[in-house]
Amino acid sequence: MIAAVTLLTLSLPAAVAPAAGADKLVVFAERAFTAPGEVVEDALITIEGGKIASVKGGGRASGADLKAACVTAGLVDMSFRYSTNPNTVEQSSEVTAHARISSSLDLHARGWERALRQGITTVAAFPVDRNVIGGMGAVLKTGGEATLDARLVRGDAFLRGAMGSLPSSGNRPSGSRPANFYARRPTTRMGVEWEWRKAFYDAWQETQREEDDRPGRKELMSALSGETPVFIQAWATQDIRTAVFLAEEMAAEGMGTMRLVIDAAAEAWREPALLVRSKAAVCLPPLPAAGRTTDGAFMSMDTAAKLHEEGVPLALSAHSGYGSGETLAEQATYARRGGLPFDAALAAVTTVPATLMGVSDRVGTIAKGRDADLVLWNGTPFEFTTRPVGVVLEGATLVGGDTDR
Amino acid sequence: MIHLTRRALRTMKNSSALLSLILFAAAPQASAADGKLVIEAGKIVTLTGEVIEDGKIVIVDGRITAVGKDVDAPWDADVLDASDLVAYPGFVEAITSGGMDRSNENVDIAPFLDVRDSIDPVNVTFENYLRSGITTINVQQGSGCVIGARGHIVKPFGRTVEEMSVKPRAGMVLSASPKRGKSRATQAQALRGAFTGLKRYLEDTVAAAKAGDDYAKREAMYQGREPDEETMKGRDLDCSAWKVEGMKLVPRWEIDEKQAPLVSLVEGKIPAFIYCGGAMDVRVAIEIAESNGFLHKTTLVVSGDCDRAASWIAERGIPVIITGSLTRSEINEETDEMEDVFIPKAYADAGVRFALRSANSTTQSLAYQAARCVSHGMSREDAMRAISVTPAEILGVAKRVGTLTAGMDGNVVLYSADPFSVDGVVQRVVIEGEAVYDRATDSRVRHLEEGIAPDNTEQVDPRAREYAGDGEGDDGDAGEED
Repeated sequence: MIAAVTLLTLSLPAAVAPAAGADKLVVFAERAFTAPGEVVEDALITIEGGKIASVKGGGRASGADLKAACVTAGLVDMSFRYSTNPNTVEQSSEVTAHARISSSLDLHARGWERALRQGITTVAAFPVDRNVIGGMGAVLKTGGEATLDARLVRGDAFLRGAMGSLPSSGNRPSGSRPANFYARRPTTRMGVEWEWRKAFYDAWQETQREEDDRPGRKELMSALSGETPVFIQAWATQDIRTAVFLAEEMAAEGMGTMRLVIDAAAEAWREPALLVRSKAAVCLPPLPAAGRTTDGAFMSMDTAAKLHEEGVPLALSAHSGYGSGETLAEQATYARRGGLPFDAALAAVTTVPATLMGVSDRVGTIAKGRDADLVLWNGTPFEFTTRPVGVVLEGATLVGGDTDR
Repeated sequence: MIHLTRRALRTMKNSSALLSLILFAAAPQASAADGKLVIEAGKIVTLTGEVIEDGKIVIVDGRITAVGKDVDAPWDADVLDASDLVAYPGFVEAITSGGMDRSNENVDIAPFLDVRDSIDPVNVTFENYLRSGITTINVQQGSGCVIGARGHIVKPFGRTVEEMSVKPRAGMVLSASPKRGKSRATQAQALRGAFTGLKRYLEDTVAAAKAGDDYAKREAMYQGREPDEETMKGRDLDCSAWKVEGMKLVPRWEIDEKQAPLVSLVEGKIPAFIYCGGAMDVRVAIEIAESNGFLHKTTLVVSGDCDRAASWIAERGIPVIITGSLTRSEINEETDEMEDVFIPKAYADAGVRFALRSANSTTQSLAYQAARCVSHGMSREDAMRAISVTPAEILGVAKRVGTLTAGMDGNVVLYSADPFSVDGVVQRVVIEGEAVYDRATDSRVRHLEEGIAPDNTEQVDPRAREYAGDGEGDDGDAGEED
């Protein structure tokens, strides 16, 4: 049994540094969980040029550059929320489909490295929830050179929207007090729903009439046709319903069939049949204390397990620890505690979010040709007594840091 | 018939309080009605280094009388069959303000208060403790004070504080980090001022007694204090740090009730829990405790970067209770690189005894907190000690709780599997020989874990009413009820 100690003795200064010995790196693991349901015993993973060159079983630890008890692909968090500051959302309008998060990212923020140290190598960034339609989200790596060129995996990966009370929170009707910017629409859930519907109907009608392009029309039409997925936040049942019903309404009108991914769907467990019917996928928020979470939603401990049993594609998120302070690996552990099988937990933090964001050709699994993003564990992943002890990002190693917050 | 105070009735309107009341009322009461209980467990982990397969725990009149494989049990004892479960001693919460009705008193120096007046037995916190296998809880006021109320050690079962009581007046909270409205400097001055004020009061009282003034006595009588044989006498102040000449002239019962608890503190009669929010507070905490003679009774309640002062704490030989996050990351100013610290390990490496606290953001489980220590390379034994024996020692109840051995309180937690694993859940809890918790009848655990709320107890949130269609009948699905 190779304990954490083996790895820690290798510990380099805790920072992302090029792998020792040029461009090639060999990682040994007693068990490599290369993909959900696939385990390679005594695996030797060879990395060349930042990509995985080969994965072989029955190998020996001697000669490997890094050794660990277990290895998984780098974790993927599609609701990472590197900043929850409302100022990261453009507020000149409640619908800003043309806004691109990729043009406003602070790649020097420390949050990226914290994510990397937890084993998260790929994340989605997006305008969180201050707008009904916030704009286009992007998929990025959490480390490497701090330039968009180096880190961007996929720009315009999805259209971001939000249902529920959050897009209207802080707004108020103009009236007794002097008007300021926040005296604006929407001020209720009704208004949020209306803005959502109106945005798509307007874009669709303008397209029918072949009118000149208005900022955002192209992005909305791409989402409406199902070409770009729609990543829409809806915590409570009523908001999940609204999101699904609106998509069904537009499909019934012949406007197109959206691909829905419902973010922070804490109450998705109440009506999994609705999600199965609509083929919507779900990204769960961090498990809250005592069940209660944002928007009055109640999330039970077996939420992930229930959705998995019903066949709903399921991703997990730690929301960058915001509100819970706990890591993505810990969220997967809590999901296991609630009954989610190991392989489904692994899928929910690797392959499922990678597929939903359209980047599964690069990340989410350990296979020849994939990006060399690995997490090294000091035991079986997703247990309370184990943790990520090392991270490899595109062949560069980060070793020896504590990885939870 | 359960007696309900007016406040309890009022808080019952809150559905969680109602839930807890239902649970408490429905929990099996006093299964060992004749005071004898035998737990037949598949495995017993005593936390004294011994693990017994298929053993028995015999509890008579609330105390463990025997633990072992082949021990004699009274023929008429109730038997709790736990052959598929693992027995652990009930875990110990080293400090919390949970279960109190508002945890901070606004008065700076308030040691004359007692948290027993503020503990709400139907508070859902206690129910959560029970289902997490935590059977001994040190309830103290929060950190928003200079010197706070006296605390109370309780068990999470009972309808009144008296029923819950394990040890009353069990220590006092002080805070070295500033309460609201104070700077670090004024906080430190207020702490020092409390003790110089005490010394001046005692000297003035001695002077008055010498002058034949009986004001203190009349005040004591006016307040209705009852002297006993011990307190009728005056005796020298038993403080190792400073003296007040002539204290023999002042009968102890005449000491003002606002100052009397501080006398107990400087005489080392009760434990002190000093909150430190950062390394710089540790110096103040140790200065106050050392210069007033109660360092040997002091535990630091640490958060933030207090572990930077770990070697200093180790030199004094005092323990800590770790609150807040177990990890912190900081930027090395020279290299600009991020560095991570696993806080319990920092204390362990410095040789400081530490206790963990249950609260993290998702669960109220001491076991999960201890498991995280294992994930960071500490031994299972050391991790277990931080949630059982060490907090029991800190609280001065190590002869009663923390291990499963003869003579200890009959507090036993029966787990379905290893408490550190994702499969380990608390199935049964026995407190002082009473089977007080059974997961099979815990309606709230079904709500938390499976979303099944007990009938008529789900909170009605007007914002959460379900969408019932738009009334135009153009969307059949929208109008459907499930």
